[in-house]
Amino acid sequence: MEDKRLLEIKNLSTIYETDDGVVNAVSDISFSLAEKETIGLVGETGAGKTTTALSIMRLLPERTGRIVSGEVLFNGENLLKINEKKMRLIRGANISMIFQDPMTALNPILTVERQILESLEIHNYDNKSGKELEERVDELLELVGIPAARKYNYPHEFSGGMKQRIVIAIALACRPLILIADEPTTALDVTIQAQVLALMDDLKRELNTSMIMITHDLGVVAETCDKVAVMYAGEIVEYGLLEDIFDSKKPHHPYTIGLFKAIPNMQEETDRLTPIEGLMPDPSDLPSGCRFHPRCNQCMEECGNIKPFTYTNENHIIRCNLMKGIE
Amino acid sequence: MKSKEILGQAPDKVRIKKKSQAKDIWIRFKKNKTAILGLIIFIIIILVVIFADIIVPSEAALKQNISERLQGVSKEHWFGTDNFGRDIFARIVHGSRYSLLIGIGAVAIGITIGGILGSVSGYFGGAIDTFIVKFMDMIMSIPLMLLVLSIVTALGTNLVNVLVAMMIANIPQYTRIVRSAVVSVVDMDYIEAARACGASNFGIILQHVIPNAIGPIIVQATMAVGVMIINAAGISFLGMGIQPPTPEWGAMLNEGKSFMTTYPHIVFFPGLAIGLTALSLNLMGDGLRDALDPKMKD
Amino acid sequence: MEILRTAKLQKYFKLSKTDYLHAVDGVDLTIDSGKTLGVVGESGCGKSTLGRLVLGLTPATSGEVYFQGKDILKSNKAEKKENRINMQIIFQDPYASLDPRMSVYQLIAEPLVRNQLCESKEEIYDRITYLMDRVGLATRFINSYPHEMDGGRRQRVGIARALAPNPKFIVCDEPVSALDVSIQAQILNLLMDMQDENDLTYLFITHDLSVVKHISDEIMVMYLGQCVERAPSRELFAAPSHPYTKALLAAIPQPVLGRRLNRNIIKGEISNPINPKAGCRFASRCPHSNPKCIGREIPTIEISQGHYVTCTLFQNN
Repeated sequence: MEDKRLLEIKNLSTIYETDDGVVNAVSDISFSLAEKETIGLVGETGAGKTTTALSIMRLLPERTGRIVSGEVLFNGENLLKINEKKMRLIRGANISMIFQDPMTALNPILTVERQILESLEIHNYDNKSGKELEERVDELLELVGIPAARKYNYPHEFSGGMKQRIVIAIALACRPLILIADEPTTALDVTIQAQVLALMDDLKRELNTSMIMITHDLGVVAETCDKVAVMYAGEIVEYGLLEDIFDSKKPHHPYTIGLFKAIPNMQEETDRLTPIEGLMPDPSDLPSGCRFHPRCNQCMEECGNIKPFTYTNENHIIRCNLMKGIE
Repeated sequence: MKSKEILGQAPDKVRIKKKSQAKDIWIRFKKNKTAILGLIIFIIIILVVIFADIIVPSEAALKQNISERLQGVSKEHWFGTDNFGRDIFARIVHGSRYSLLIGIGAVAIGITIGGILGSVSGYFGGAIDTFIVKFMDMIMSIPLMLLVLSIVTALGTNLVNVLVAMMIANIPQYTRIVRSAVVSVVDMDYIEAARACGASNFGIILQHVIPNAIGPIIVQATMAVGVMIINAAGISFLGMGIQPPTPEWGAMLNEGKSFMTTYPHIVFFPGLAIGLTALSLNLMGDGLRDALDPKMKD
Repeated sequence: MEILRTAKLQKYFKLSKTDYLHAVDGVDLTIDSGKTLGVVGESGCGKSTLGRLVLGLTPATSGEVYFQGKDILKSNKAEKKENRINMQIIFQDPYASLDPRMSVYQLIAEPLVRNQLCESKEEIYDRITYLMDRVGLATRFINSYPHEMDGGRRQRVGIARALAPNPKFIVCDEPVSALDVSIQAQILNLLMDMQDENDLTYLFITHDLSVVKHISDEIMVMYLGQCVERAPSRELFAAPSHPYTKALLAAIPQPVLGRRLNRNIIKGEISNPINPKAGCRFASRCPHSNPKCIGREIPTIEISQGHYVTCTLFQNN
């Protein structure tokens, strides 16, 4: 699985320098993505998922965001070392991103056609004619299930689900190798979510796109991802294949276990839910040692003092001192 | 009507100091150098207004001395003298009172009336809203100068009437601003929460709507004072406002206009005074707007 | 013992002379004291409007709402005041539901002061600290402002505020939808504990079926302003009957292996709520629709004890 690495993140760390101090948004994370693979970045608010995506795309807010260390290797080339001009060629054409809120992702005063064309025109490397680009627009709309006749409509004339399809069409217009989807269905109704996820799955197969799926919903992860990275307070605490993460017989990081337990389970009957006590730490004031230790119900003395032990079992990685005893 | 004072603060048993929003805003405002500059200039001007009599006795502003007319800047006359030999510095100092009185007065009353109308209009909507909006549109459709001039002509050219005219011309603008601020707040959940608590409409407007809508109003108000001062000066310049020998800055411009090319200092200083006042208010207003906008915070 | 009942409750929004948006169209429901009725549906189904109607925060176009046996719309001033105290609401958005200019103390004090429920400032203070403790908010937050706290804490303030006047009935309008999963669980537990402690009745509105399962005794599924199925909680999940309910359940992504995206995904989008035609509003998307579904009112059938479905598939004649 790890042989043809399309994207490789190595020890990436990103900070925000704000008026209130330095925020350690992402700390020393590493993961990889092969062709046609989907990795899920799971975590709650403040875990650093969006910052990771913006770091890969080099779209961090200029004044405050800074990548302080690490490498982002795309097809072997470190994206953090190339100049902005080259990066712009990659954005949209090789790596594309879609954001959470379809309501604000589209420009309200431009027609849908114009917005899809924008990406095509910027990356028109084979000098296709205007007519050919138009045909591509029609093709893309049909691909996402929107009648091509509607391309002259404005965003407000579409529903939330349809807007998100248009956003997907724009993102996939130039057949990128990687699609980063930041909570693409969180703002949608559950039945529309199912439609959009199915669409994304179809498109992925057709276009051979790899995907980074950012979400807090473990159900979505189970249905769309091949690999999973569980993030907490800027770090990846558990990483592995889908089968590794969702197999309750395998060892897991206490946070992962907590996440699963906190979800109201459709199958079981329970009187009370088991939440994870406490809150995600303030990223400008992180706990020492293991960042999860203040909330961990299995916390040991050493957990607050030393960096957690890294357990590796083939593709399954867990950063937790509890794993020390396990083979 | 229970006011916010009754809701009050937790009693002294739990006096845990928390940064209030006002302090937060002040800290952000302080960071803005130009805004602080504007504030400093404005404070100086206000001090001049308050202590005018101490700085220069008021008779000096009116005392004519033909033998000393049209003198430039000198040790005895810091800003020179005008064509009647009056000390321009004294006239600027005392004139500040008129300009600021009109500017602040017109805005203050304009906001109060416009604020009430705007709140009612924005909160209740429907027929009341339509009526008030259309009425304000009517007033706004008359060009400002024309409106003010007509009122002043009808009522007479003195300080009070200029104030009244400015105020009337002002009201539609504030009604609009307050109304749009109110409309943006009225749909918020916390308004509904207040209703669910049993609050009356009046109570909601007073305690929830206005404090939250006050931001844009304050910004607009600071800038409007500058505009009003310029407008009042403009009217006096046209001879329709404050009449000489009262040392109002605009009137001074009027009186000095025939000497603009030969003795420019006569119009330079009043012009500078007007410009500085308006500038300082604009800078403060800009700074306030930035400080009030939480999204600007990094 | 029934505490809340509605009869043919309707809310139409007039968009123009001829166009009416049917937000809530003929809803009958009853809730017994101390129980929770979950109202489930997607956007546009009218569940939030229903919550406001039941509280009297929005005037109904027609129909009645009976609280403790009395029609709330026909109450006199004194009764209305009492209802205000007895019926409260918790909002979805912990960011928009708290006045940003008020401290936690002032926010929780408001219902107490407005309804003159306390004799002295000391009493108010005691009540506030008691409530903060019950909802799990440390006393040190008493002078904090909403923007200084995270979503979970803000929501606790909202809950404390709703509990302050000691109500009997609370409408919970998607109280956990805007919260992280681990916080959701905390708040849901809190709500259930409060219900047990104070014998509260809840109308729990949500789009999330997994959440409603835990907290509800009875669940009502809404689609475009109408109730399509109503059943005791366990029964609804064991035997979902209306095609929409089934589609809703099938659409929920499950955190278990082996359920990839080959499910019966419902096609199409929600139809227009403006001047809808008579008949089942789900017909255009329903895999089982037939000519009987359009053109006339669909009757509600009780297919088992307490389990009601509004669908032609269950008609016998």
